[in-house]
Amino acid sequence: MNEMPVKDVTALTANDFGSDQEVRWCPGCGDYAILKAMKTVLADIGRSPDDIVFVAGIGCAARFPYYLSTYGFHTIHGRAAAVATGVKLANPELDVWVVGGDGDFMSIGGNHTLHALRRNVDINLLLFNNAIYGLTKGQYSPTSPVGTRSPSTPGGSVEAPVNAVRFALGAGARFVARAADTLQTHLPGVLKRAHANKGASFVEILQNCLVYNDGAFGAINDRSQSHEATVRLEHGQPMVFGKEEDKGLVFNNETGAFEVVTLADLKSEDTIAIHDETNFVRAQALAELEQPGFPVPLGVIYAEAATEFVEARGFSGTKSKWGREELKSLI
Amino acid sequence: MTYAVTEACIRCKYTDCVEVCPVDCFYEGENMLVIHPDECIDCGVCEPECPEEAIVPDTEPNTEQWVALNQKYSEIWPNITERKDPPADADVWSGKPDKMDYISPSPAST
Ligand SMILES: Cc1ncc(C[n+]2csc(CCOP(=O)(O)OP(=O)(O)O)c2C)c(N)n1
Ligand code: SF4
Ligand code: SF4
Ligand code: SF4
Ligand SMILES: [Mg+2]
Repeated sequence: MNEMPVKDVTALTANDFGSDQEVRWCPGCGDYAILKAMKTVLADIGRSPDDIVFVAGIGCAARFPYYLSTYGFHTIHGRAAAVATGVKLANPELDVWVVGGDGDFMSIGGNHTLHALRRNVDINLLLFNNAIYGLTKGQYSPTSPVGTRSPSTPGGSVEAPVNAVRFALGAGARFVARAADTLQTHLPGVLKRAHANKGASFVEILQNCLVYNDGAFGAINDRSQSHEATVRLEHGQPMVFGKEEDKGLVFNNETGAFEVVTLADLKSEDTIAIHDETNFVRAQALAELEQPGFPVPLGVIYAEAATEFVEARGFSGTKSKWGREELKSLI
Repeated sequence: MTYAVTEACIRCKYTDCVEVCPVDCFYEGENMLVIHPDECIDCGVCEPECPEEAIVPDTEPNTEQWVALNQKYSEIWPNITERKDPPADADVWSGKPDKMDYISPSPAST
């Protein structure tokens, strides 16, 4: 193996995190936008590429590790979270990211996603949700809305789709966020928060598959209309939205649900809800907000401080206390 | 990396590229468009849309000058996010070589 040149990691730029591989996504794919944001974030975090590992399953999204100069692992469909867990336990000093599509994370890998989240291993799971199986040419996925016509659902899907944020909260994730591919001024901040969280961080990134599911998220990732279709969450800030910031969310204690109000028509007894990312009940109510009718919440939906797995198990230092010799003594 | 608009766009400005860019990173001068290299996500979807074949990836040789020009003007020209009609004489200038002499440094009048 070549010796890595010693380089001042604080001087690394976004381009230093790119690889020499030819990018094989379709022109216009939302994955390019996520890759761009990720390179910027890695440069800002300022760790050396050899302290970082990207683990992916199979799918278009899962090609991600090839395009970064970090370590990478293109594993088996649905199994990335399990492999990433092993990588992190073998060397807790590494920054471990998991990348997968909605098929990878929510169908074949659903159970691994569940266990990674509830175990709270310090890895960052990024779900590239395009609501379709892209790589295999456009079959419906667990996140496809009812009515989705595809080669495997020619009459339109009749299944209730998985709401990924609701799933993650239900699985016991202590960090749940959502972002969108093309919102390049928003996405990097969410990725940085996911990285800063000690424990399993789950980020759903709404990603446009231009070829098999173009426009699946409507106005959300259309930059000119996004402010009307989304509410950008900031901890401690009122939940207002709209280009003119003329609408907001009010929490109805009676129904336990959010309601949309126009600020001009706000009744004197109502107040715009303040986002509290540590409030689990509110996070669940936020997960229910969907288009049409409601702005889709983007940003950190839920974040709860909790001891991550390695610390909880009492491992310390760069290696587990169970060295080879100790393991042998067990057998 | 980035994509960049070259001189073939000058006085043609068909703006087909603007319609497809997922991150709206085109900027409009009086007679040419440019791409903001820091905002372009390298998705390549605009390249085949351009009838003048004016858009190139910077991985092609001798594109440094175009990237520099795109960088410079994207910082001073206004953002363009919707397609508009080309100049009336666009077809006259279509396919003409060496149009750099005609570039206008002025921003588009909006
Ligand atoms: C064990 C196994 N089952 C099925 C497949 C076929 N397969 C490859 S990718 C994929 C789904 C891709 O969809 P998604 O995970 O949403 O990723 P995308 O391509 O949309 O980014 C499937 C079913 C496989 N490679 N391995
Ligand atoms: S099939 Fe869809 S998700 Fe896959 S690379 Fe093409 S546009 Fe992207
Ligand atoms: S499509 Fe080509 S010629 Fe037209 S504005 Fe875009 S770059 Fe210029
Ligand atoms: S390559 Fe993609 S992001 Fe860059 S200018 Fe073209 S369409 Fe826009
Ligand atoms: Mg998918």
